[in-house]
Amino acid sequence: MNASGQMRVNVWQRGVAIYDARLMTKSMYGLIGLALIGFTIAALRMYMGLGKFSGMTDVYAWGIWKTFNVMTLTALGSGGLSVGIATWVFNRTRLHVVMRTAMVTSLILYTTGLIGILVDIGRPWNAYWLLMPWKWNMHSAMLEIMVCMPLYAFVFLAFENVPTVLGRIEYFGRQATRERLRRWTPWLRAIYPYMVAGAYLLPIMHQSSLGALMLAAGPKVHPLWQSQLLPLLYVLQAGICGFAFVIVALLTSCAYWSRPLDREVLGELGASMGILTLVWAVLRIVDVAVRGQIATALSLDFFSILFLSEFLLTLVPAVILLAPEARSDPRTLFHMTMLILIAGMAYRFIPTTVAYQPGAATFYFPSVAELFIAIGLISLAIIGYLVAVTCFGVLPAPASEWYELAEYWRRAAPSRKLNEHGYPVDD
Amino acid sequence: MSVVSRRVALQVLATGGLGAVAAGTRARASDSEANPKPRADAVSMLFDSTVCTGCKACVVACTDANNLPPDTKMSGGIWQMPVELNSETKNIIRLYKDPAKPENFAFVKQQCMHCLDPGCVAACPFHALHKGEKGVVAWDGSLCIGCRYCEVACPFDIPKFEWEHFNPKIVKCEFCNHRLKEGLEPGCTTVCPTGAVIFGKREDLLAKAKERIAQEPNRYYEKRVYGEKDAGGTQVLYLAGVSFKSLGLPDVPQSSIAHYATYAHRMLYRWMLLPLAIYAVLAAVLRRRWKEHSIAAAREEAATGLKDQL
Repeated sequence: MNASGQMRVNVWQRGVAIYDARLMTKSMYGLIGLALIGFTIAALRMYMGLGKFSGMTDVYAWGIWKTFNVMTLTALGSGGLSVGIATWVFNRTRLHVVMRTAMVTSLILYTTGLIGILVDIGRPWNAYWLLMPWKWNMHSAMLEIMVCMPLYAFVFLAFENVPTVLGRIEYFGRQATRERLRRWTPWLRAIYPYMVAGAYLLPIMHQSSLGALMLAAGPKVHPLWQSQLLPLLYVLQAGICGFAFVIVALLTSCAYWSRPLDREVLGELGASMGILTLVWAVLRIVDVAVRGQIATALSLDFFSILFLSEFLLTLVPAVILLAPEARSDPRTLFHMTMLILIAGMAYRFIPTTVAYQPGAATFYFPSVAELFIAIGLISLAIIGYLVAVTCFGVLPAPASEWYELAEYWRRAAPSRKLNEHGYPVDD
Repeated sequence: MSVVSRRVALQVLATGGLGAVAAGTRARASDSEANPKPRADAVSMLFDSTVCTGCKACVVACTDANNLPPDTKMSGGIWQMPVELNSETKNIIRLYKDPAKPENFAFVKQQCMHCLDPGCVAACPFHALHKGEKGVVAWDGSLCIGCRYCEVACPFDIPKFEWEHFNPKIVKCEFCNHRLKEGLEPGCTTVCPTGAVIFGKREDLLAKAKERIAQEPNRYYEKRVYGEKDAGGTQVLYLAGVSFKSLGLPDVPQSSIAHYATYAHRMLYRWMLLPLAIYAVLAAVLRRRWKEHSIAAAREEAATGLKDQL
């Protein structure tokens, strides 16, 4: 936006709520239904034990609630980490405008993942030991995750999302509330950089610990995946998936609600993701080579093909995205990002389940009830996202959209007084 | 100001780096963990497959000693007939038949191996599984949250979970800890009629096993004691006339899996130096960026009237 107030189209300037969208659509009722089914089954599972509600066995002791809803989907929820580090640490200031999308999707996916853990663990009432550090096993990656993940989601990530909520209160709140908010703001701004630093440290810690989890499985994980580099590769992959998911969320949301696309910002996201992906790919292949597994990787058996497709689906789109023309074309960007996202999810999921080969000849497939709980959690995440983008200024838009929002409220609620910049006027 | 904060950040980074080097040195000094030493009072079980007749007296004795319900699913509720270790069975005898020559067969006893450096103990977030007196790996339910990481971390797939129970326990052989405390032997070794499984101190039984191999080398197929070094060493030791792998004793690394699993974690989190260093650098950078951002946002607001969005 220029100083004169003249507006450029197709440049994202601020997060603006999708104020004219109907929230309670048919698909919304469907999602609520799915979430309710999932939570009803989860409540029954709490009462009747895990066996009847899951395909898990003593051989495959971890099912999709842990391996998909937590270990895979929180990688998608790492946009708050990777977009945040690109924006704040690497000073890509153009990305400030998509930070809210990243932070909201992260909070939603972490919250549903943590609910998944609560459904999954057999004796959740003993979780109060988390508050007593002298009982902690400091060598356990599981402990690190259980301490670090809720702390991140409900303190640091929640804090990052506070300004988004305050934005709505400022817009719709009563005079007294707004005045109180104004008294808190300096305090919030004083601790902001220190809280954000924590919001980057903690996910680096627990996303790498998620990789460290599978170290304990040792020889049970296929040698193409089992490596001392798992923690590093997992946290980098979380960063990649974070970028990829934010790009996909932005592109699909803008297409769905007819918002203009900012090719420059999307290209910047694509470039950051591409660079990180190349770093990951080099580490991955060097690790396989150093451990002497190149022959295994090229043997073209099931695991070799799985490895090769996962690796090439990560590498090739990243190389394509190196070209600025490819990044600035939303269609190419979308397709390449989807490939990276799928391959990234595969990398996070495969060592936990597909390449996890315990001694006994048995097989894991999630049961119907297990799938319904997982689907319920994902539905809840989508509901959360829909509520967030319709009620809060999350999705990026040109500033013109902000003024249209003000126009909308002037028409819809003439008693509301908004100034020429679209902010409520004090009484 | 920015120069100062950069210098501070570099100093913190350097200190963190030194810490990491120091941590590395310390770890190398205590590298014995990859090859753990058994504690002096370590109890042990020696199972000699060439002596076992497969009578399963030890299976029944185990159920009795531990007050477990007999697993009668296979026999339609008539007699105890477990097919594998499960949440009702801590000890089992399994049959191996040579696929080529069915007249060649051997029995194997399966229960917790009581590793010298157990993967489950390293994995357990709250020390619910712990290596207690005499090296027995025991479970404390009051600390267990039921995450089942022990099942993932055990190279022998031993810990079992009560899948059907709303308050599930982790079930596994605890070396009849309650009997050891009374000065008794474990249930299984007490009843074995042929002496296929015997109880003793680990060093004594290891010596005895090696003596048996020396006396009758042709009796033992691999001519080594399984459990001496496997998975870093276990307190249950095996001798067999067929390959250990065919009996279901897996090919595991000859060093501690717990050491492998926790190595990176211990390096990265030693004294919390690395996380603190990362935080210090992030905070220093963010403080600077925050100032720049605040100035830019104020300028933007002055120009356009639009407030900063965080």
